[in-house]
Amino acid sequence: MCVKSKESIFKSKLTWAIIAEILILIVAAIIEPRFFSIEYNTETGMLYGSLIDIVNRSAEITIIAMGMTLVIALGGTDISVGALVAVAGAFALKLLRWDVTQYPTPGDFTVKPFILVLIVPLVICTLMGLFNGVLIGKFKLQPIIATLILMVAGRGIAQIATNGKQFTTGYSPFRFIGQGSFLGLPFPIILCIVICAAMMIFVRKTAFGTFVESVGINPSASRVTGLKSDKIIIIVYTITGFLSGVAGLIYSSRISSCDSNNAGLNYEMDAILAVVLGGTSMTGGKFSLAGTIVGSLIIRTITTLVYYFGIVFRVDHGVQGGHHRRRHHHPVRAGAQDDGHAQGAQDEGR
Amino acid sequence: MSSVDKRRKQNRLVNFVTNPKYLMVLATIGIFAVIYIAGIVLYGDKGFSTLRTFMMLFIDNAYIGISAVGMTMVLITGGIDLSVGAVASLTGMLIAYGTTRLGLNPVVCMLFAILVGIGLGCAMGGMITYLKIPPFVATLTGMFLARGVCSLISRESISIDNDLIDAMASWKIYFMKFVDGEWVKIKPVAYINLNVLMFIIMIIVGTVILQMTRFGRNVYAVGGNEQSARLMGLPVDRTKMMVYAFNGFCSALAGIAYALYVKSGWNLSLQGAELDVISSAVIGGTLLSGGVGYMVGTLFGVLLKSVIPSLITFNGTLSSWWGKIITGALVLLFVGLQQVVMSGSKRGKKKKKKDK
Repeated sequence: MCVKSKESIFKSKLTWAIIAEILILIVAAIIEPRFFSIEYNTETGMLYGSLIDIVNRSAEITIIAMGMTLVIALGGTDISVGALVAVAGAFALKLLRWDVTQYPTPGDFTVKPFILVLIVPLVICTLMGLFNGVLIGKFKLQPIIATLILMVAGRGIAQIATNGKQFTTGYSPFRFIGQGSFLGLPFPIILCIVICAAMMIFVRKTAFGTFVESVGINPSASRVTGLKSDKIIIIVYTITGFLSGVAGLIYSSRISSCDSNNAGLNYEMDAILAVVLGGTSMTGGKFSLAGTIVGSLIIRTITTLVYYFGIVFRVDHGVQGGHHRRRHHHPVRAGAQDDGHAQGAQDEGR
Repeated sequence: MSSVDKRRKQNRLVNFVTNPKYLMVLATIGIFAVIYIAGIVLYGDKGFSTLRTFMMLFIDNAYIGISAVGMTMVLITGGIDLSVGAVASLTGMLIAYGTTRLGLNPVVCMLFAILVGIGLGCAMGGMITYLKIPPFVATLTGMFLARGVCSLISRESISIDNDLIDAMASWKIYFMKFVDGEWVKIKPVAYINLNVLMFIIMIIVGTVILQMTRFGRNVYAVGGNEQSARLMGLPVDRTKMMVYAFNGFCSALAGIAYALYVKSGWNLSLQGAELDVISSAVIGGTLLSGGVGYMVGTLFGVLLKSVIPSLITFNGTLSSWWGKIITGALVLLFVGLQQVVMSGSKRGKKKKKKDK
């Protein structure tokens, strides 16, 4: 397989995703031109508009999908991310409302120092990601069943951390994460851009991305060439755990409370969908972080359009299902002709 | 002579117990027995030891069990099906919408729903078998599609208002005992309803299909090694298609059971049920890598998963969320055990080869 054709396929996958996004936006523009208006509110110093809203609301999924892309590139899946979102929110709010008996109403208080409220949930989520990674990398469990454990147990842990209660908070530094603004943009967008940039640099400017692709295409061959595939798998799942924690903080800050039942519900499916829409094959191998960002935006655009035009709630899943099916036929058919080796490696693996 | 026979018999028993295939099922049954007996010892005075409590384990989880029969077969072929919850939910919607909103005959609705289930199963099986799409992706697509259709039918919960369905839902066989020349219901009242009957029949049907038919042996062969099965000339593609179609049928049946259980249809019902079903099968000793699994194990997997919440309810002071954590820990225990047993048996085989 020559390098040129590889590049053209990679390009075309990303272009397809972008074309789909543009088509959706054009449809929106035809139905309702005001969809594109963006206003600047001088009082809050923030930009407002549907487009800003789409990018803002897609931040959690985009951040999780950054990790999920690497997981899927390894040929695995992580279905525990939604539960980890709930865990992060539960522990953050537990710390914010530590002395809940002393301060029965939500107000401007927190444990000192405040940084603990951010660090402890992130550490817990990172450890949970590490747990997933060790099960999959060291003990060679199937990814779906290994992450199923935390998917089930995670929400239980979140509930027990908060005693099954829903705490709310009014502490402004915490609320800033999800509701504040920086340079005129909502803070989640800034956070999302920083994380995406960091991931892209980490993956593409070091050899790590190539290692991940190599392990995803053929684990045994990578091991023979001297890659420590166990370690790579563990690192990738740990990163995903950490990113789920970040998304959990954003989510709980957005709603100023924790909700162990519904926080991050179905995020695993949305994140997987974003990755697949972005052109990364579920069989593992080559991946595209930029495609994933576009994929996440597509999901959010469809959802926002559905809300905006008052179409029934959750029809979007039907739209997504159809979309998913159409998109997926394309790479497979292309795969039969050009992109045979990712598919072939999978077959050999069986 | 007789001592040789005896030893042979003993050997056979030892082989049966130490065979890794049976060991997993025996472990499931053993752990269920331990937990159940612990429950009787701890909460026997509160009524844990009654037949009623035992039957409730079946009644509350019949729909999970019915779906797990199909899932076990899919897992034995080395595949996975994430669409079962959505397909079951769609079945419930079709029945609720058909009977209550359109006023159709419930039997027609049920038959149509089963056809839809089989059709979706065939479609996903076709994608997996002929288009070579990985099962995870193909069934994820099916899941999104089924949920979408659910929402298209109605986005609100529809309660079922139909005499025949009411009759089916309240149909019961009571456990009786013979006292003073006449049959009386045992106290506290214990019964089997239609869902439990369907569950038990499906377990028996699944066992017969897997253990006594050519198709069942093909299923194990495909899961054990698809390449070898193909080289042996077994109809691999047809077997996989039929397994997914059968699973579609089981999902639809589970949807009917759930509709009878809650007597309503809702587009967001049974979310995450697919993972309950998969974990039941896994706890029951079915290997996700394919080739190993028994319906009896799945039966006890379902029971084991349902006895934990029951125990927590009887305790009364524990938070119900411990149930989730314990279930997670059980899954971890069983997949760990599988890993140990399988690697142990591989080592054993290698050793035997060396000895030769």
